[in-house]
Amino acid sequence: MSSTLVRSRYVSEALVEPLTLMAGSQTEAFADLYARTFPRVYAYVASLLRDRAAAEDVTAQAFERAYRKRRSYRAGRGTMDAWLFGIARNAALDELRRRKRRAGLEGDPEDLTRPAPDDQAELALRREVVRAALAGLDGRERDLIALKFAGGLSNAEIGRILGMSESAVGTRLHRTITKLREACHE
Amino acid sequence: MSERDPGTATIERDLTAIDDALRTGAAAHDDPLARELQELALALQADSPEPDRGFAEQLGARVEAGFPAVGGSVRARAQSAGAGIADRFRVAPGSFRRLVPAAAVIGGLLLPVVLVATLIGPPNGSNEGDGAGGGGGAVAVPEEAGSGGGRGEAPDLQAGSGRQAVPDLQAVPGAGSTPAIAPPPPGAGFAPGERARKIERSIGLELEAPADELARVADQVTAVTNRHGGFVLSSSLSTGGDAAGGDFELRIPSNRLRPALRDLSGLATVRSQTQSGRDVTREHVTAKDRLQSARAERRSLLRRLEQADTDEEAEAIRRRLDLVAGEINGLRAQLRDLRLRTDYAIVTVALLASENGSSEEGGAGATFDDALGDAGDLLLGTAGILIRILALLLPLALIGLLLWLAAGPLRRRRRESALA
Repeated sequence: MSSTLVRSRYVSEALVEPLTLMAGSQTEAFADLYARTFPRVYAYVASLLRDRAAAEDVTAQAFERAYRKRRSYRAGRGTMDAWLFGIARNAALDELRRRKRRAGLEGDPEDLTRPAPDDQAELALRREVVRAALAGLDGRERDLIALKFAGGLSNAEIGRILGMSESAVGTRLHRTITKLREACHE
Repeated sequence: MSERDPGTATIERDLTAIDDALRTGAAAHDDPLARELQELALALQADSPEPDRGFAEQLGARVEAGFPAVGGSVRARAQSAGAGIADRFRVAPGSFRRLVPAAAVIGGLLLPVVLVATLIGPPNGSNEGDGAGGGGGAVAVPEEAGSGGGRGEAPDLQAGSGRQAVPDLQAVPGAGSTPAIAPPPPGAGFAPGERARKIERSIGLELEAPADELARVADQVTAVTNRHGGFVLSSSLSTGGDAAGGDFELRIPSNRLRPALRDLSGLATVRSQTQSGRDVTREHVTAKDRLQSARAERRSLLRRLEQADTDEEAEAIRRRLDLVAGEINGLRAQLRDLRLRTDYAIVTVALLASENGSSEEGGAGATFDDALGDAGDLLLGTAGILIRILALLLPLALIGLLLWLAAGPLRRRRRESALA
């Protein structure tokens, strides 16, 4: 991973973002937002779509849409990350609806990760197990997992996007990851 | 979280452990189950797809450039074809859809307003209503006490002026459904060649004033008449009791009729006004011609008298001269009478006691009270219209609001159906 594409690994990072995109140069501020969120947005969209080309189109579409609608962002309605992920999610869901017949969520996923040369066999096996367990989840559960672990969002931000309370997100997340853990043991 | 709720406590512990693992990148919880969840979380995070470097650089460049049009896209082709202006007004996808509920609400609000405004309509200047509009065709112009015209509204003799219009006095004489004054009998013919018309004018005014102000108004009627060079031919005034009121027969110079009527109308509330005109030019011309003939005959007779040879002839001429002299006197009187009737208009004023009682109770003299009453009526009318509009708007606005509120969840549900 290059230094310019460092993906946020910390849930709390979203909490320290600038509250407004409008101050100063809007393009520069949006570029900052892009640099901070692009890997996570792509990871989330790709997790949902499981198609690299479609994920790139939808990610680009989401950022362009966010750029055009950047004046509509209101800090009082959630963090900018949540706002951006909401746009990306809508774009991904629209794409999913369009291509549902061809690439449903239950289909075999494309291998979106590039194995490192020194990828150990144990890690590869572990990854396959997790993927198999993920395939057993329904679409909404996979969406939640993707928002949390690929998108790196906090439970509060996920709640904003899904229209749920933070505690409800936590409960649902715990249930889903527990289900995933059990599936990994099967 | 509470001690009595171990389920919630476990959830909180596991969620905290997961967030800790995501933050530190290590699974080091003491509890084996929590640690296992941490490991799973790290695996999920590590398994997240990573973007292609080329795509990242390409998109990054577009972000830096503010998302210019991509070559080959519809937008780029439009730009290259010189459609930059149209693109400048390009609306983001979904904007119209978002505007639909707002447009529905606004449309729902505007439609009743337009309907009500159309139904109510602007004043059309006809005689319908309170008589405040112009009425060039009617001779009798009734005016209710306290209505829009109100007290002090001087009648304007110029028809169609928009105020309390009175038809031209030289118009068709004797018109009017309920004339208060019987017009003079019509004469034969109208002397079309005569340019200086002689017109008899008769005006009737009904003034209404509080009973305790009748005497004052009566005095002012006389004062106004005198001020304009006229005179009171007869008057009667009765104050107190049920039959309070008065009648005045005035003669006002025709050339002062208009300002005199304006002043008289300003004395009290005008309940009605009638007027009539009669062209007596032919009678005047005829009398003048006959007078000239009579004078010519008298001169001729006088010459013949001087040349008379016999007493009998002279006596016959004298008798004829007496007859002619009588005729001349009669014609002079007729002309004088005609001149009086045309130089002075007949104005009859009927003074009535208003039913409201004294001026302290809001009679014709209470201008400020009248204004307050009118303002109150206007406010009440406006409030009534607003209430009716609101009665239409509120349900429509409520429906629009519900539709707008329901649109969001419906869109979300339809979109999330892709996840099912």
